[in-house]
Amino acid sequence: MVNIQDFSFAYRRKPIFRGLNLHLEPGHIYGLLGQNGTGKSTLLRSLAGFLFPKGGRIDVLGFEPRRRQPAFLQQVFLLPEEFHLPAIPISRWVRHLAGFYPRFSQEQFHRNITGFDIPLEGSMQEMSYGQQKKLLISFALAVNASLLLMDEPTNGLDILSKSQFRKVIAGSLDERQCILISTHQVKDLENLIDRILVIEEGRILFDQGMDTISQKLTFTLSFDPEQTAQALYSESSLKGNALVLPNTYGEDSRPDLEMLYKAVILESEKINRVFKP
Amino acid sequence: MNQTFVFSRWVMLVADHWAENRKRYLLALLAMGGLLAAWYGFLLTIDKFGPLNLFLQYSAYYFGLYFIGCFYASTIFSELGSKSRAIQYLSIPASHLEKLLCGILFGVVLFFLAYTAVFYLVDIPMVSLANRIIAREHQHWPGTFEPISSVQVLNLWNNPWAPIPDRKFHLFLLGYFAVQSAFLLGSVYFTRWSFIKTVLALLLFWLVFVLFTDKAVTERLPDGWHAYDMLRWYDNSDNTAVFRMVRLPEATERLLILVIQYSFPPAFWVITYFRLKEKEV
Repeated sequence: MVNIQDFSFAYRRKPIFRGLNLHLEPGHIYGLLGQNGTGKSTLLRSLAGFLFPKGGRIDVLGFEPRRRQPAFLQQVFLLPEEFHLPAIPISRWVRHLAGFYPRFSQEQFHRNITGFDIPLEGSMQEMSYGQQKKLLISFALAVNASLLLMDEPTNGLDILSKSQFRKVIAGSLDERQCILISTHQVKDLENLIDRILVIEEGRILFDQGMDTISQKLTFTLSFDPEQTAQALYSESSLKGNALVLPNTYGEDSRPDLEMLYKAVILESEKINRVFKP
Repeated sequence: MNQTFVFSRWVMLVADHWAENRKRYLLALLAMGGLLAAWYGFLLTIDKFGPLNLFLQYSAYYFGLYFIGCFYASTIFSELGSKSRAIQYLSIPASHLEKLLCGILFGVVLFFLAYTAVFYLVDIPMVSLANRIIAREHQHWPGTFEPISSVQVLNLWNNPWAPIPDRKFHLFLLGYFAVQSAFLLGSVYFTRWSFIKTVLALLLFWLVFVLFTDKAVTERLPDGWHAYDMLRWYDNSDNTAVFRMVRLPEATERLLILVIQYSFPPAFWVITYFRLKEKEV
């Protein structure tokens, strides 16, 4: 679905990506993690055709994104971190915009906005930032785009909405679609994503499925100094030491995304060694 | 599916643009009409003898057309000035050509028609009011028996008050479309303050053109020869009644006039199209 080969990009003289290779498959929800300024939003905008590669090649569904052809735009939807909604009623906005997307589902849209508890009356400019974001998420999901790119989708959402967000996303994906979510709020993606991509200094530092992570790593709290010494990554807390350990005994442990992210960033060599075949 | 132009998709884009902007546009038209009526009202109060003559109507029409038309054109692609709005605009599944044609439809065609309609909606009743004032209050010029003729409604295509190049070649009217298309390009080219920056860019081009004609052309003419206009040069070195003029062959001159009259808007639209296509946000 998405094939990125030898992709390079720079803002004036500041290089962001140099020779990035990435492959995304349909039927998955990918979590794109990385520190500020590592190029997460740049990657999403390049995939959506709003930024052009300085080198290499991006192929999305057989299209070259930079050409922004209508058939491509119908199948790829970017939900940006900063967005703009016109000062018109929701119904009018949806009526006009939905016509551009052949797979748009009115029923799904109404289900989403009902789930998010968004009022349908009034102008969109009168809504709060969080409500606007939920509206846009509802629309983005109802478009049924083959590739849905979401940049910090949970920013500005309250706790209940974040939980609703996870529910709505999980219920929306089918095997033809691929969702790529870029975020700092790793906790918000727990139980949602099935593959993690960590980017650092313009390259993919870590790319693994959640099942593989569960098989290879275990996440636990422990006061045992011996166990702490064996950890790939440890962090002290009031409840004990939070540890990321190799899953030597095949234990069933739910990955802690925040711990995993920190482990990948700070101990990438150790972590990646565990995943080497 | 055609990726360049599909009429039904373009109609959807036009409908979407109208849905988002209709309130703003209708209010703007109302404000334009109100401003013109206020200006005419002012002229009627200060001049009871020859109010709203053709020159005043002509200057009011063109001042408004140039100023408002160019300002509006500089906002046609204003979405591209902000990252969030640009992403929303560029992600609409329509081609760049369809987006450009939508901009041209609103910024060039509909604006011109709406502006002209609003102008005449105000102009015709105000001219009729001016004629009633003339008939009621002053039928002769002060201190003479010369009757004050009634005021006519401006004819854009055939106005005896217009300067000669405008009467002959409709230079002001066609020039408007050329200048306005430059502002349309400016709205894609400059992300911020596009109106001001386009004004400055046009002034710079004008300065280069004037310097070119003055330094590169006029200074190279033989003694006593001067530029008559852009395409003709004359000699009055012996200060006699003999007037010698050099001009281009008629066919070439006609072709150049046609190019000056009609080629600028499409040329600017083509550049705007490529600029829009290459826009990154």
